[in-house]
Amino acid sequence: MTEHISTRVNSHRLAAYIGRTVRLVGKTLKIQGDTAIVEASDGGQVEIRLPKDPPLTGTYNEIIGNVIDGSTVKMLMCIDLGSDLDMKLVDDMVELTHDPKFHEKMFT
Amino acid sequence: MSQYENNYYQNGGAGGGGFLTGGSPGSANGSPGGMGRKNEAQHSLRPVTVGQLRKATQAHTDAEWMIENDEIGQVTVVAQVMSIQVQTTNTVYWLDDGSGRIEARHWMDSSNPEDVEKWGGIVENTYVRVTGNLKTFGNKRYINAQHIRPSTNPHELYFHLGEAMVTNLMIERGMPPGPGQTAQQNGVVASGSGASAYTTQSRAQTSQFAGLPPLQRSIMEFLHSQPPNDEGVHVGAIARSVQGGDAAQISSALDALMDDGHVYTTLDDSHFQIST
Repeated sequence: MTEHISTRVNSHRLAAYIGRTVRLVGKTLKIQGDTAIVEASDGGQVEIRLPKDPPLTGTYNEIIGNVIDGSTVKMLMCIDLGSDLDMKLVDDMVELTHDPKFHEKMFT
Repeated sequence: MSQYENNYYQNGGAGGGGFLTGGSPGSANGSPGGMGRKNEAQHSLRPVTVGQLRKATQAHTDAEWMIENDEIGQVTVVAQVMSIQVQTTNTVYWLDDGSGRIEARHWMDSSNPEDVEKWGGIVENTYVRVTGNLKTFGNKRYINAQHIRPSTNPHELYFHLGEAMVTNLMIERGMPPGPGQTAQQNGVVASGSGASAYTTQSRAQTSQFAGLPPLQRSIMEFLHSQPPNDEGVHVGAIARSVQGGDAAQISSALDALMDDGHVYTTLDDSHFQIST
């Protein structure tokens, strides 16, 4: 079942998840061809390798993808989270899911 | 040997009673009407992650589900719908909330147009909130969904994660201290065990009897501080320990406490015991 876990991350946690599937919430800054630059919930910029489908539609999207390196994610799918999102809340929750009090019991 | 048989017989009798109250087997299969169940947990609704549901355990196939050591009733998750399979009698939703995947099944009454409308708004690749009970079919775990609705505000997901974490902590450690009693029980008490334990106790009592007039309150606090004793406390001991009141005032204060049911007399009219 471990292959179905997609941990929620921000930009600075990407490096710990190289080769694995993650969920990264990003605000789209620009899209150029098949790459996009998004701002993660902790303010860091992440390069997203886009598939042909689906497109990044919202201002904010949850990107589910494989981590290539500490600043690049290959997107598998995305969920449109609209244009109004409290990124501070998102980042706090991302950090809490990695808290040892919760991580093992609830998010693995 | 005869004693053994006697015990055996009694146990058999108790076992019969257990069968009656132990819940009809039908209720485990999802039919309503487990009238014998007194379990409060069965009527509770706990926010959880899919990861917790995957790790939930069950002593045997009819037993209640447990997360860690805590029984669960209904659960609610917020998760992404990966796929929807509409079948003749039910719809299967594959849910993924990042901590794992689980199926949610909804048994549909397709002849009821209201039902179809209510359940029709779910599309793949969006977040939904699902409420239901954890079940198994064969070796597969699923949520028997009572309710599914689209989660249109993205903040609901993050609220849910926070709520699930808080719930987990409260079950593990108990309720957090209320405002004004911060950390009193947790940290400070460690220093000078006897004295500080006494301080916290009397402080707690002050609040417990805060509604009473001062003399009645100090009588109650004195009675409360006495070791438990069936005979109660003699009025003379009360008079000696309580400051600021003559015999008549103490006597009328005791009368008032008796009228309100806070204390009662034991051996005779001059021995008092606190009502619990």
